[in-house]
Formats: sequence, structure tokens, C-alpha cells
Amino acid sequence: MTDTLAQPRPKNAAPWEKLGSRVRFASWITSLVPAAIFVAAWLGLQLDFMAALLAIFLPIQLAFGAWAGFYSYGRKGVNDGLLMVVTFFFSTFVLVLLASVIWSVISEGAAALSPHFIYQNNRYITGTTGLEIGGAGHAILGSVIITGITTVITVPLAIATAVYLTETRDGARGVVRTLLQALAGLPSVVAGLFIYSMLIVSGWSSQVGVMASLALIPLMLPTISRVAEEALRLVPSELRNGALALGAPSYKAFFMVTLPAAKSGIVTAVLLGVARIIGETAPLILTAVIANETNANPLAGGMATLPTYIYNFLYLGDATSLQRAWGAALVLLIFVGILFVGARVASATRVGSKPKRRKK
Amino acid sequence: MSNDVAPKRLKLRSKPSRTADKVFFAVAKAAGYSSFVLVAAILFFLMLRAWPAFESQGVVNFIFGAGWNSTTDPQIFHLGPMLYGSLLIAAIGVAFAVPMAISISYFISFLAPERVAKIATVIVDLLAAIPSIVIGLWGLGVFSPVAAEWGRMLSEALGFIPIFSNAVDIFLRSPFIASLVIAVMIVPIIASITREIFSQMDQEIIKGAMALGGTRESIFRKVILPTASGGIVGGVLLALGRAMGETVAIFFVLNLTFDDFNWFKILEPSGGAVASLVLARFNEALDTELSALLAAGVVLFVVTLIVNTIASYIVAKAQPWRKL
Repeated sequence: MTDTLAQPRPKNAAPWEKLGSRVRFASWITSLVPAAIFVAAWLGLQLDFMAALLAIFLPIQLAFGAWAGFYSYGRKGVNDGLLMVVTFFFSTFVLVLLASVIWSVISEGAAALSPHFIYQNNRYITGTTGLEIGGAGHAILGSVIITGITTVITVPLAIATAVYLTETRDGARGVVRTLLQALAGLPSVVAGLFIYSMLIVSGWSSQVGVMASLALIPLMLPTISRVAEEALRLVPSELRNGALALGAPSYKAFFMVTLPAAKSGIVTAVLLGVARIIGETAPLILTAVIANETNANPLAGGMATLPTYIYNFLYLGDATSLQRAWGAALVLLIFVGILFVGARVASATRVGSKPKRRKK
Repeated sequence: MSNDVAPKRLKLRSKPSRTADKVFFAVAKAAGYSSFVLVAAILFFLMLRAWPAFESQGVVNFIFGAGWNSTTDPQIFHLGPMLYGSLLIAAIGVAFAVPMAISISYFISFLAPERVAKIATVIVDLLAAIPSIVIGLWGLGVFSPVAAEWGRMLSEALGFIPIFSNAVDIFLRSPFIASLVIAVMIVPIIASITREIFSQMDQEIIKGAMALGGTRESIFRKVILPTASGGIVGGVLLALGRAMGETVAIFFVLNLTFDDFNWFKILEPSGGAVASLVLARFNEALDTELSALLAAGVVLFVVTLIVNTIASYIVAKAQPWRKL
């Protein structure tokens, strides 16, 4: 490789990136010594982990952090050292908690998972039945059906709302946007109570699958329309104006120019919306009977979903019930993970990046 | 004065003329207004069914009184302890979550190398997507025993302070544990808003502060925090609304006490949460109690709607780059 620069870049072109030897020495000491003291105290004195962490590790680490700051930068470095220690401590704490959630679902759930757990239903299963029979197949089917119905109803509505927010110049857009933001925080149990009071108490319907789908609409709507709005807004207005200037009617300009340009963002919005509702529990408990058998008809009979399946067995509370709950939680988390990864992949292809060439 | 100098800008006031366009915009408008209809319908139908309970209990008594019993005559349905419990848990949860969320955002935006920052971002975002029932399962099966042990130690070390005293020697299912579980759920909410504001911050200002001799700490305290405070406050309010509406996770890690207020003894196994009350009583409830549960839903809806509206207003103000 030949050097493309006319003059070779001097070796210390970025001197601020090189840490001085004092700084490096201090940060090594600071990151190793308190941890060593902590481990020694924890194992040597048989202390409780959390007590040792808060009473021994944190004060020592803070003291060392302050010393490292002082040693490297003088008096004004002391607060820097303290800030670094506090930030790292809290960040690690958060990441450990999150990792604990994910890890426990994976490890406990894998123990309950088996091929028949995926397709068998819950018939003849009580809280103490062994794991040899029975599974969450009916709940997976129910989740797919209920989430599917909600998606089919909500997606057009939400995208039309996003169109209202970006393509029209209506005066009430600000209010609608704020209202949607507020709806995003709607307690899920209220959504369930809403459908229950409107359609079930009044005797229009019993507690069936489609009621659960309706209850999920207000939860899905704000997520999709907000993300879709962002996606539509990222489409350059030159594209829109260009289409209009060519004489296209607004609806054609939208469907043939704006929407295709925002396609990946819309897909992201839908996936995030599905991920938002697939784990909802409370509205489903209020609006659909938790069935034990496979039921593919959302208009009659009860229907189980993965979240209500988990809820049911968590409520029973026996050891095998809990294992079943963990297994279903793992299945649910896999669904969420797929949606999440899909959303990230879809949003990675940005609006305005070069379009794919059509093959001729 | 200068009004006459500037040429008047003509506005293009075109109205859609074609039928297809009219339909297109009408559909969009209808969809936009549907969220008004949705909120109105939620309020209307809940109020319709909840009215008997408000009428028999009295609105003020229903919201602030204590006691929930369907077997007495007359039946008593008072929401006070639940409502207070919701606020208490949400407040403690937020108090736990805010330092963690700000730390992780600062870590991601300003300290971590790019690759570490990316991984941490994915983990935090993924946590936001974990369903609350899974958090409840984790809270009941994994976290509760651990946190109960923390509670015991806290009570032994600091029991002379009334907040940490515990007369019953049971540490499971306390507001302390519930608020820690809530904190795990709301950290990603606060963190995502804080992170976005941190990442949009004007780098020139930070570099300027550095050139003037600022240190990391003084820049964080005097430049970054004041600039981001609006967004952080909004994020905290959003999280507060979410925490008050949380249902299943709290249901499994908290012991609901209907008759007394648990004002501050956060380590004792008694607390309240409006949303969990609905879940706990729903299956056994008959007409009047059902109506009372719907009334609880109304109260919850109104409270969270107010909190969330204020929150989204503040967040929108704090993110001017999002404006059209």
C-alpha cells in the first residue's frame, strides 16, 4: 500500500488520545485494587455479597477513584474520579440486572422446553402434572391469532394517523400528537376494562378472542403511528414536491413516492407495534377466558395466549407450573427477540440511502 | 416599521380538487381524529358502568377513603390505600431508576468506546421490549428472595429509622421489592429519552467548556445536566405514568392491603396498586364491586392521562429538533 497522504502523518497526530503514564498507572490501580480487596473480604469474611458490595467495595472504590483523579490531574481531578466511579457502578448494576432477567429466562426456560411443549395443549394438565406431557401450543396459536387480528385492524388506522400528522396541514395536529403520546402510556388494564365495559358487560359478546384483539388496539395504535410518523417525516420534501409538480394527485404521490421511500421505517413501526402488544397480559385476562384447549375460532370460546399461559401457571405456583411458565416465557422472549431484530434490521436500511437497482 | 419593507409572502392555498384526493385526505383526517374518539369512548363507557359505584360510595370517599369489602352491608369500596400505594411505589421506583438511567446514558454517550456503547444500547433497548409478565416471573422467581434479603439487611442496619422498620419480620412482597422491579422496567424508558438528548447535544458547547478548563465532572454538572434537564424531567414523568399503570408485575411481587394506608414502612409486606387491585378482584367481583373496579379504572386512566400529557408536552419542548 502506498501512502495516500502527501506527507506522512506525524506519529502523535492525536496527542489527546494518548494517556499519560501517570493516568494509565492510576487507572489500573483503581480498577484492580478495590476489586481485589472486595473479593478477599467477601470470601475471607463470608460476608453477604450485596452487603460487602455496598459497605466495602463502593467506599474503597470511591476513595481510589478520587485518589486516581488527584494523582493524574491534581485537585480538580478528584470530582472526575468520583463521577467515573459512580457512573460505572450504576451502569454495571443496570446491565447486571438486565442480564439477570435475560439469563434466568433462557436457563430456566430451556429446562422446560421440549418438542411437545411447542405443539401440545393444556388439556388434562393440572399444576402438578409432570413435564412429559402438555405444552403451550394452544397459547402460541392464540397469541398469533389475537395479535394478528389486532395488527390487521390497527396498521391501516395507525398509518392513516401518521399520514394525517405528516401530509396534512390540519390545525389539530399538535393536539393529536400530544394525545397519542399520552395514549402510549395508557395502562394496559384500562384498555381491558374499556372493552369489558363497552362490549362485554352490555351483553354484546362474551369473553372471546376477538374481544382481546379489540382491547389491544389502543395499546398498539400510538406505537405504530409515532414510529411511522418519524419515518414519513424523514422522506425529503423534494421527492413529494417533485411528484406533485409532475402533476400527480396527492394520493398517488403518497402511495407511489412517499410510502415506498418510507417503507423500511413503516415495517419497523409495525414490528415494534407487534412487539409492544404480544406481551400484554392484563387486558387479555379481562377480555378472554384462558382456555386449556386449542381453539382457532376467535369468535367463540376462550383462548389462551402466551402471556396468559404464563400468568395462569404463575398463579398456580407449583414447582412444575413455574417450570411451564419459564418455558412459555422463553418462547415469548424468542418471539419478541425476532421482532426486535427484524425491526433493527429494517431500520438499518435508512430512508434516502441509495435505492436498489431493478434488474432488467 | 419593518413590516412594510419585507415583501409579503404569498401562501399557496390549494385545496384538493380531485375526488380521490378528497377521499385520501378525509380518511387521513378521520384517522387523526380517531384518537380523540378513542379517549372519549374510553372515558364514556368506563364512566357509564362506574357511575353506580361513584354514586353509592361518594366520589371523595371512593378516592380517598380506606377499606374494600364486598361482604359487609353496605359494601365498602374505597380506593385510598391502593391509590397512595401506586404513587408510593412509582415514586420510589423512579428514585431508584433515575440515577441508573442517567448513569447508563452518560456512559453510553460520553464514556464508552463506540462498540461497547452499541452493545449497551441494544441491551437497554431490548429490555424495554421485554413483556411485563416476564419481568413479573423474574421478579417472583429470581429477584424477590434476593431483594427480601437486602430488605432484611437494610432493616437490621437502619431499623431505627421508621422508614426501614419492620414489625412483622417478613420481607417478601413489600413495596420496596415492587418498586425495585418497577425500576428495572422504567430504566429503559428514562434512558432512551436521556440518551437521545445527550446525543443531540451541541458538541461545540462541550468542547468550548473543555477549552475553558472544565473537567468531566464540571461539564457534566454545569453544561450537560442543565441542558438535558427538561428532557429528563419529561422522561421521568412518562416513566411515572408507566409505573402507576403497571399491573401484572406488581401483582405477583406485592401483598395488597385494602384496609389500611401503609404510609411509609416500605419494607413491610403490605402495599397497594390500583391496577393490581383490578386484577386481584376481577374474577370474584359481582355487579357493585365490578362497578367499583371500573371506577378504579377511571381514576387510574384520568391520573395517568394527566401525567402523560404533561410529560409528552415537556419532552416535546425539550426536543426542538423534532419539530417540523
